[in-house]
Amino acid sequence: MTTAPPAKLKRAVGQGAPLGPAAVLLLVFLFGPILWSVYAAFTNASLSGAGAAASHFVGLANFKKAFAADGFYNSVVLTLVFTLISAIIGQNALGLMLALWMRKSLRFVRALGGAVVIGAWVLPEVVAGYLWYAFLAKDGSLNHVLSGLGLGTQDWLFSLPIVAVSIANIWRGTAFSMLVYSAALSDIPLEIEEAAQVDGASGWRRLVSITLPMIRRSIMTNLMLITLQTLSVFGLIFTMTRGGPGTKSQTLPLYMYEQAFSFGNLGYGTAIAIMLLLVGAVFSLIYLRALDVDTR
Amino acid sequence: MQRRIIGSGCLALGLGLGLGLTACSGSSSGGNTSGGNATIKVAYQQFGEGKVMANFLAGVKTEFEKANPGKKIQLLPLVASENDYYTKLALMLRSPSTTPDVVYEDTFLINSDIKASYLKPLDSYLAKWPAWGQFVDTAKGAAKAADGKTYGVPDGTDTRGLWYNKHIFAKAGLPANWQPKTWVDVLTAARQIKAKVPGVTPLNIYASKAAGEATSMQGFEMLLYGTPNQLYDAKSSKWVVGSKGFLDALGMVKTVFGEKLTPSPQDATDANLGNTISQQWLPQDKIGIALDGSWVNNTWQSTGPKPWPQWSSVMGEAAMPTQNGEAPGKVSLSGGWTWAISNKSANADLAWKFISELQTEKNAANYAVAGTQIAVRKDVAADPTYLKANSETPVFTDVVKVTQYRPAYPEYPQISNQIQVAMESVMTGQQTPKQAQQVYDEAVKGIVGPDKTTTQ
Amino acid sequence: MTATNAGQTAQTARVSPTRPRPRTHTTHVRGRLAALILANVGVLAVAAIFVIPLLWVLLASVNRTAGLTVSLPDHWTLDNFRAVLTPETTYRPMLNGVILCGGAALLTIICATLAGYALSRFKTRYKRPFLLTILFSTGLPITAIMVPVYGLFVQLNLIDTISGTMLFMAATGLPFAIWLMKNFMDSVPVTLEEAAWTDGASRMKTLWYVILPLVWPGISVVAIFTFVGMWGNFFVPFVLLLSPDKLPASVSIYTFFSQYGQVAYGQLAAYSLLYSGPVVILFLFLSRKLGGAFAFGGAVKG
Repeated sequence: MTTAPPAKLKRAVGQGAPLGPAAVLLLVFLFGPILWSVYAAFTNASLSGAGAAASHFVGLANFKKAFAADGFYNSVVLTLVFTLISAIIGQNALGLMLALWMRKSLRFVRALGGAVVIGAWVLPEVVAGYLWYAFLAKDGSLNHVLSGLGLGTQDWLFSLPIVAVSIANIWRGTAFSMLVYSAALSDIPLEIEEAAQVDGASGWRRLVSITLPMIRRSIMTNLMLITLQTLSVFGLIFTMTRGGPGTKSQTLPLYMYEQAFSFGNLGYGTAIAIMLLLVGAVFSLIYLRALDVDTR
Repeated sequence: MQRRIIGSGCLALGLGLGLGLTACSGSSSGGNTSGGNATIKVAYQQFGEGKVMANFLAGVKTEFEKANPGKKIQLLPLVASENDYYTKLALMLRSPSTTPDVVYEDTFLINSDIKASYLKPLDSYLAKWPAWGQFVDTAKGAAKAADGKTYGVPDGTDTRGLWYNKHIFAKAGLPANWQPKTWVDVLTAARQIKAKVPGVTPLNIYASKAAGEATSMQGFEMLLYGTPNQLYDAKSSKWVVGSKGFLDALGMVKTVFGEKLTPSPQDATDANLGNTISQQWLPQDKIGIALDGSWVNNTWQSTGPKPWPQWSSVMGEAAMPTQNGEAPGKVSLSGGWTWAISNKSANADLAWKFISELQTEKNAANYAVAGTQIAVRKDVAADPTYLKANSETPVFTDVVKVTQYRPAYPEYPQISNQIQVAMESVMTGQQTPKQAQQVYDEAVKGIVGPDKTTTQ
Repeated sequence: MTATNAGQTAQTARVSPTRPRPRTHTTHVRGRLAALILANVGVLAVAAIFVIPLLWVLLASVNRTAGLTVSLPDHWTLDNFRAVLTPETTYRPMLNGVILCGGAALLTIICATLAGYALSRFKTRYKRPFLLTILFSTGLPITAIMVPVYGLFVQLNLIDTISGTMLFMAATGLPFAIWLMKNFMDSVPVTLEEAAWTDGASRMKTLWYVILPLVWPGISVVAIFTFVGMWGNFFVPFVLLLSPDKLPASVSIYTFFSQYGQVAYGQLAAYSLLYSGPVVILFLFLSRKLGGAFAFGGAVKG
């Protein structure tokens, strides 16, 4: 009943072989350095200063320091808000909408829309930051438009900085969701939706009952990837507000930068980063549960 | 079963490879040290379009290679903003095969690198170098570490003071050659502008976290160093907490922001305030007095971001006064860069030779002019080309005589961060100066340990 | 799953006593037309909204004295572009970038396609933890990881080499790429492969001739995403490359920032426009090649 070992081994190797090249790259270049980094979180390693000459093991001291620090909880909350608004709601919904619409659009509309949205994505992060700063500043273009329409002015960079940077991040990152959903939707034969339409199902009903369930896996993938990316957004916020005013837009990456990396404290910074990843892990578990997807 | 074996086999291999290779880093030797031919690597920060440093170094390189046949100079510009530059430099300095021989270190962080044993003490070279005697005393201390040894040669510096707009002064009835003697004089002038010239911001003092080190140096330290107290007590090697001067400096901030003599909190916390002031408000007569640095006029040159040919007739300069006119009457802070040698360099002597070439009187003067630096050497300060170039900013040039350097010890960046926190909380009215000082004191004790603090 | 779902919906609609009257042909056409118009207008509206913030970059790039405000230039000029279009500032870094990122992206795609295929078909319960681990491990801050990587590269003598940097960038792009590719591969039914096997094709042949054509949209997405991520990656090439003439375009953007935080905004804007060029071109090329920007309306045969 048992297959002769050589055949099974051969099959295992055959099945696992395609993993080879990727595995080699990952193991050699990433695995070791990542383990070092994780270890560093338990030391006082740093790039410069005393910790560089000789670092030693400090156990959980970095983690305790992070928890005790004032700004930590503020940063966690801001990070959650930022991720929720800009990724989970903003980029996700807008990307899906665009992908759905672009299925039915004229070719030139698709090309134009795609080019603009992707252009926003590919512009260097620091330029996107300046751009949005110029847009939202006191005498920036948004205020010109608003006062032209008689709607008064806004000062979100000062009063609601976390919302301002969230909107900027939606602008910047929607292209990714749009592309993922476009590819996912292309797998759905239009005939199925048309069949449902013939039977009287409304557009909304078709979307919710047919289309979305069919791309459930892609939704989960997309949410996980954009959540992870959004959790580590730094340059955009730094350029727009520096995390301010005060600490009103200081998400965890900016907090990490201020506390650790601007002083070269690798150990401390990595400890905070690990906690950031735990936040990401929690999000992912929520997605996996909510979307009830099995990744077998 | 076999799959699992294969799986764990791969894992072990990867672990071993990865850890083994990363564990031993930088033990390979590097650099050519053969007596006849040698290459010196010179690393510096390449910022901006401006090729000032690149051109300067290229010139010195040609001279040096001609005078020393067989010895080559390899220039390594690192294109990056501050923190990335420091990171890259630190990485390169850690490993003998990639370390540059000569490095350009900011006085802000040099102590950190010294503590990390990246840099070589230069005392033996300096003792035999006649030009060292030309350096102003405070400049000599710029790269002196806590162990008393000197690790770098400063090549120039910047100063800070008060820029004021003569158009606005005329409207407010203030003199065109204004020189305040005390803080109260500055306040009076600002109040007069507010009363007589509506719609104009009287004064700017950087006080936000967003402005970063500008808040610490151009803002806070320009005030504190005008009081009898200091940030760091060099005699006892301890950081000062609970001083009256600290409180008074914060009190000044509270006054000017409270009386609305400054930009609104919204503008004051703007991440790009500095550029707005130099590129828009000053040329457009929208701000009266700006407590800022000696480099601001770079913006107005024909090659700068905001060319303003009339700047020298519209802008006046005044030194920042001490609190109550105490000696020396003027305050200035200086930053600046130094040339240092890597501890792992295989060609330290040759590296030093290059540095001394960089700092011949002629070359030092050339760089000071091209890089709009304020001279830190007496001979350069007397050099005619330098004098002519800096004739347009006499006050900023002159004040180098009393300028002081920050206590740039490894903890300084974190302490500076706390200064900015304190400044901003007072500026926004969130805390009183007393409360902000208490928070600062606690934070400093946390950073350096309570035994490294003292009251003055 | 898909056919039965649609079938069930249709069935419930048929037997439900309160089902709506079947639509007439005209309402159908009107409904369809309305949907089409909505779709086109929607995309155009979003594009218009997206363009407004971009105005700053466009205007600043032709403004001699560009600042951080959006204003019509007092002095229109192409000088910014002229100043920027030098071999040192633009040509060489862009070329370096294309080689570096193109090569790394290609490597990533090949490895990820193979790996995604294996993971998609491999039956083991270690899959989910494995995938999640590699995904999360790339969330660690790049500054911290670069320290051991720098040491590793010095040891392997890969420091300051384009090939070494390419390998590392490919490695960092792998986790996301593998995850995406596996996801796309999952939607290709195994039955197709089995049909090919019974016809005598080997696994690799099946992959190439049967699976790949079906996951082309997915591969394009991964290609764009991987390339864009690498194109914008400043820190890795900055750390691993020492000679200035090997640096890619993402690094040389810092030539526009100066010592005291003064920024040459006009040139920065001009440079950014040039910098974004290659990716937009890549996108247009891929979408043209696949017959219409990324929306493959007709049924996928299978």
